Amino acid sequence: MDQPVTVAIIEDHPVVTEGVASWIRSDPGQRVRLVQTARDLTGLRAVPPLRADVVILDLELSGELVTKRIPGLVAAGYRVVAFSGHSDPTIVMETLDNGAHAYVSKDEGRDHLVEAVLAAAADRPYVTRSQARAMLADQRPARPALSQQERQALLLWFQGMSKESVARRMSISENTVRQYINRARAKYAAAGRTAPSKDALLARAIEDGVIRPGEIMPYMSFARSAADRPSPGAPGQ
Amino acid sequence: MTAVQPTAMMSGRYQRAFTLAVVFLVVAWHVAGAGGQLLHDRSAYGSFAFQGVMWLVMALAITAGSVLVLRGAPGWRSAWAVAVIVLAASTAAAAASPAGQMLAVNWSWGSAGWAGVLVLLRRRFGELAWFLAAEALAVLSVQAWDGLHRTDLAGFLAVLAWSTGAQVAVAAGVRALDAAAGQAAAAVRSEAAARERAATAELIQAARHARWLALQESAAPLVAELAAGTADPGDPQVRIRCAVQAARLRRLLAESDEVPGSLVHELHASADVAERRGVAVEIEAAGPLPQVPGPARRVITDAAIAILTAARSQARITLATVAAGIAVSFVADTGSVVRLPPAHEGVAIEHQQDGGMLWAEARWTSR
Repeated sequence: MDQPVTVAIIEDHPVVTEGVASWIRSDPGQRVRLVQTARDLTGLRAVPPLRADVVILDLELSGELVTKRIPGLVAAGYRVVAFSGHSDPTIVMETLDNGAHAYVSKDEGRDHLVEAVLAAAADRPYVTRSQARAMLADQRPARPALSQQERQALLLWFQGMSKESVARRMSISENTVRQYINRARAKYAAAGRTAPSKDALLARAIEDGVIRPGEIMPYMSFARSAADRPSPGAPGQ
Repeated sequence: MTAVQPTAMMSGRYQRAFTLAVVFLVVAWHVAGAGGQLLHDRSAYGSFAFQGVMWLVMALAITAGSVLVLRGAPGWRSAWAVAVIVLAASTAAAAASPAGQMLAVNWSWGSAGWAGVLVLLRRRFGELAWFLAAEALAVLSVQAWDGLHRTDLAGFLAVLAWSTGAQVAVAAGVRALDAAAGQAAAAVRSEAAARERAATAELIQAARHARWLALQESAAPLVAELAAGTADPGDPQVRIRCAVQAARLRRLLAESDEVPGSLVHELHASADVAERRGVAVEIEAAGPLPQVPGPARRVITDAAIAILTAARSQARITLATVAAGIAVSFVADTGSVVRLPPAHEGVAIEHQQDGGMLWAEARWTSR
């Protein structure tokens, strides 16, 4: 990584902005550079030399939920990483559906925010535990069909295991664990409303071999209900 | 719910029977009474055809009104639409009758009044009174137009007293019967509720007894040992036993309130003691969770207590819906392997130790 990734923070609480800035500063590789902070969406400047690659967006600005503003940011060419105190799965899903690259809850910030920003800058998926939870909890009829392995990897990750432990548990490599989780995320990028950020995530996932174009199918409820069936050897069989 | 439904149905059944009786009365009156008089006096009318058409219009309105009231209480719009149609038709019929003989050959007044009773039966009493007054006024106006004589006025008052009196009496009677049916239903309901309360009290009593027995087995000996001085509170093993018993006591208290999502509630209660020790416990649930039966919940919370007691600084508990059941998992820095309860009551427990971190999953399936 030659050039550091540029980032803007939109957050109405200065103390949180300060905390995020300190996480960015303490990154050993100095891979992210903070170029702008703003307390609301109108404060975002799009002047080229200081134009941020990624926007860290607090979802609640001055008491108002701004998930509906994400498509506007995405259309303006920003990659959005939502950073929020909310962890309600429906809000997480709405955020991703509106085209955010990743969702980081405020509890997860220290461990995941900088990594999520870096992944977003490269249009790669980054799945936090709160995101995994929202995918597992998703009951919408239009949800994408996840394979049993993808669900299991998501479940163990949500439960709090490290990726290494998930790999041991599933008797696969850590790389394959990432692949399953990222593939589940890519399927979500292919579902729901269209957004340039979702297309970019998908294109990158195909390029990286995370998902094959044939696996991105429009939603099929029958495939999904087949994937929900327990495997042979599950309890009760 | 189980107590309310049959009584509501009972009261509803009575009301429907009263409605049906009124429908029969009104239809019979219009066909036999009004229809009969119309045919009998057919030569007296200026235009029998016009009277016949008015009779048909009223018959249609009565049919529509019957359908409305049998489907349930009609709204004011539909009820008054029927009422206004019969009022207009009956007044037109009266106006087209030969002057001077109007009262003698008038078939429509009674029918219109009964139709009003039918559609306004279960609306405010004042509405029916307004309707009957309007009907009487319309007849009186027709008579005044024709030229009012003293004998006519006496006839008018006689018919008014007879027909309107009967109509008001029927409406009042149905209201009284409705009220009686409602009271009977309420009595049955309160009796059923009392029975249900008694059954619940019995269940609670049994659950309390079971909890008391469980405490006798585990907590009481420990308290006895502490009191006798045979257990040393300075001994880490004794402290762990105390922590486990404290967590169990909290869980037993939490078990008494049967709230939806009681498993989450009980896990919170189990986490409480660990949190007092300075262990950060997060509890997260993914998706709408199925109800887990009491004995299975106890196996799961037993595992939670064992793990949380051993946790040093952090623990994460998650609940997620899986095929035909629920997966409750624990990740905690226990440092060493924890003795977990055996599989029981449909709950299978698996675990994996990675360095100082323990992962364990209690999975309950309904099959």
